[in-house]
Amino acid sequence: MQKSGNFNIRGLLGGLAVIVIITGLLRTFLTGGFSASNKVSITFWNGFTGPDGIVMLDIIKEFNKENPDIDVGMQRIPWATYYNKLTVAGSEGRGPALFISHADAIPRLRRAGFVDYADDVFTGDGAINPKDFDRYVLDRVKFNGRFGGVPLDVHPQGLYCDADMLKKAGIIGPSGEAKVPETKEEFLRAMDAATIERTDKQWGYALTVWGANMRAVMAQFDGKFLDEKGNSVLNCPENVKALEFVAGLTKKGKVPPPSNGLGWFGFRQGKVAMVWEGVYMVGDLTRVNSFHYLGGPIPVIGNHMGTIGNSHVMCIRKNLSPKEHDAVIRFVRYLSTHSLDWAQAGQIPARVSLRSSERFKGMQVQSAFAKQIPYVLFPPKTPVIFEFMLQMDLACEYAVRGQKTAQKALDDAQKETQAIIERDRREHPEDYKS
Amino acid sequence: MTYIQKRNVTGWLFLAPFMCSFFLFVFVPVCISLWLSFVQLDLTNAAQSKVVGFQNFSDALKDDLFWKATHATLNYAVLMVPAVLLIGTALGFGLYGMSRGRDLVRGLIYLPGMLNVAAAGILWQWFFNNEFGLINFTAKRIGLPVLPWLSDKAYAMPSVVIMSLWWTIGATSIIILTALQQIPQMFLEAAALDGASQRQTTFKIVFPILRPVLFFVFITTTIGAFQMFGQAMILTGGGPEFSTRGLVQFMFETAFNGFRFGYGAAISWLLFGMIAVFAVIQSIVVRRDS
Repeated sequence: MQKSGNFNIRGLLGGLAVIVIITGLLRTFLTGGFSASNKVSITFWNGFTGPDGIVMLDIIKEFNKENPDIDVGMQRIPWATYYNKLTVAGSEGRGPALFISHADAIPRLRRAGFVDYADDVFTGDGAINPKDFDRYVLDRVKFNGRFGGVPLDVHPQGLYCDADMLKKAGIIGPSGEAKVPETKEEFLRAMDAATIERTDKQWGYALTVWGANMRAVMAQFDGKFLDEKGNSVLNCPENVKALEFVAGLTKKGKVPPPSNGLGWFGFRQGKVAMVWEGVYMVGDLTRVNSFHYLGGPIPVIGNHMGTIGNSHVMCIRKNLSPKEHDAVIRFVRYLSTHSLDWAQAGQIPARVSLRSSERFKGMQVQSAFAKQIPYVLFPPKTPVIFEFMLQMDLACEYAVRGQKTAQKALDDAQKETQAIIERDRREHPEDYKS
Repeated sequence: MTYIQKRNVTGWLFLAPFMCSFFLFVFVPVCISLWLSFVQLDLTNAAQSKVVGFQNFSDALKDDLFWKATHATLNYAVLMVPAVLLIGTALGFGLYGMSRGRDLVRGLIYLPGMLNVAAAGILWQWFFNNEFGLINFTAKRIGLPVLPWLSDKAYAMPSVVIMSLWWTIGATSIIILTALQQIPQMFLEAAALDGASQRQTTFKIVFPILRPVLFFVFITTTIGAFQMFGQAMILTGGGPEFSTRGLVQFMFETAFNGFRFGYGAAISWLLFGMIAVFAVIQSIVVRRDS
């Protein structure tokens, strides 16, 4: 019995070894493994951990199929820890060949010294025409007159409406269907009409991310974060007007009280008729059955159309081999050209030509939000972006909760952010020489 | 080699794995963090790092966010430490008094402590949810007012404390139960023979014997309270208005989101200083009392 048992184990191990060898050989032959030395592998990091990551994965699979000499491997890391890991890996020379960065995070990453210029994407055979991007969007990735990356998309904040709730509240257009409010008056009317105060169960509008909501209005009043010299101007009159409007909604009881917590979640649950959120949230709505939603630009509250937004930018790591560099350039061009596929994930392509296609026009929310792109306000271009926005968000919170007036909250935030900027200038004088 | 020497060598050999890991993963990082606290080190510009003496410490003491975080930490400690002592002791006594089913109840009380802080935090985030949470749902059903547990400054920190209590109280109650079980029966029998009432026995015999254990719980809970991080990070993200953003979260965000490692290290040493001061004061007070 013992002998038989030993024999079986040996036989099993031997069988496994044969299977492994045969599988290995087959894989080598079938995938052209003997010419593997010609295949360039590139790593691509991003924070697309939601359904957007699946869309990106499909694009990559297609690229790998069409380009057998390149193998793109994607690593998805939650945004919450993404920049930590990217910065550590990049600073140590172990960063990915290609990575996504939000436009406002690039100055910090550039300071860490591992971001290469992406000028080659715009020159040579197969080059992308820089004129196919909005100038303002492209300016966000320009450093020393060169391209610090290639914008893949623009994701502004816009107005989401529950079509059924608006229709029921009588907010309808000539066709009898729900009408997306476009002006301040229309917006306030829709807000009041859709609010059922008696039962306190339904609201016309709810704030979502207070700081971002305020910045959307700030863009309409021509508000600014920094002046030409890079000093904080958070308490400028335009910003105060924007914050007064947002905080005023709470003060007047037009939106759920700050402690209520209804926002995007309330909108999804059919308790709120309108919210302002980023275009990327559209993916969340497609998962809710029989929910009739509409998208539109943020209603004009200030002087003109406008909103807050950002871009996912494709950035290239320094010190790539020529082969890797060429492969990355090809992949960046491919992604940019196929960014209409990417738009399905709830994004707006940065390429102007793609936005004029019928396919894009068929994406209701994305195309409606895209109307705001010429007026999008990006977060400030500063290496201290994290601390800066933290102070600004705190100021918005104070004002919305009624702890401080808009003026006082922004005065305090201006002082704090200016101190942060001055500290950074003192600690990194070389970054401010130009 | 003599017998004593052999025993010494054996002892050191048994200790060696722990000593190695302690040296590598505790001692060395502590030394590095001490050095970092005197250095201006920005991860995005590590090449430009330089020694700045006590600058990081003086910057922290002038930083409004540091004091906000200190206030939140103290707020948490003030609520958490007495609550742990009172409820933990009450549970310990309750378990001690049980004649049947004690093991089951002890297991159930201890069970939440087995959860990871993230899992416990997410669970309580749902319990505390304004609209759909279990607590407000139950309150509505029995006609009580619903409360903005996590989104109002007045309730946010107590909510964090409630979750922390649920998560940690099991361990404290078991420590106290064990201490109660260690009390020699002859003391209690002697008190009964002398005609001591239940109250006299509890306060004149049991509590004095429990004092070292209660002191241990007091110190460890205080240290734990100063290090509060995961609960608030998950439940409230530090809000509203940074009212639940403790020193550890401030330190973490400064170092790992702001990439200011030197400043982050200085904050951690200031926190260490605070814990040390409190521990020493507690120690002196308790010893003087006893």
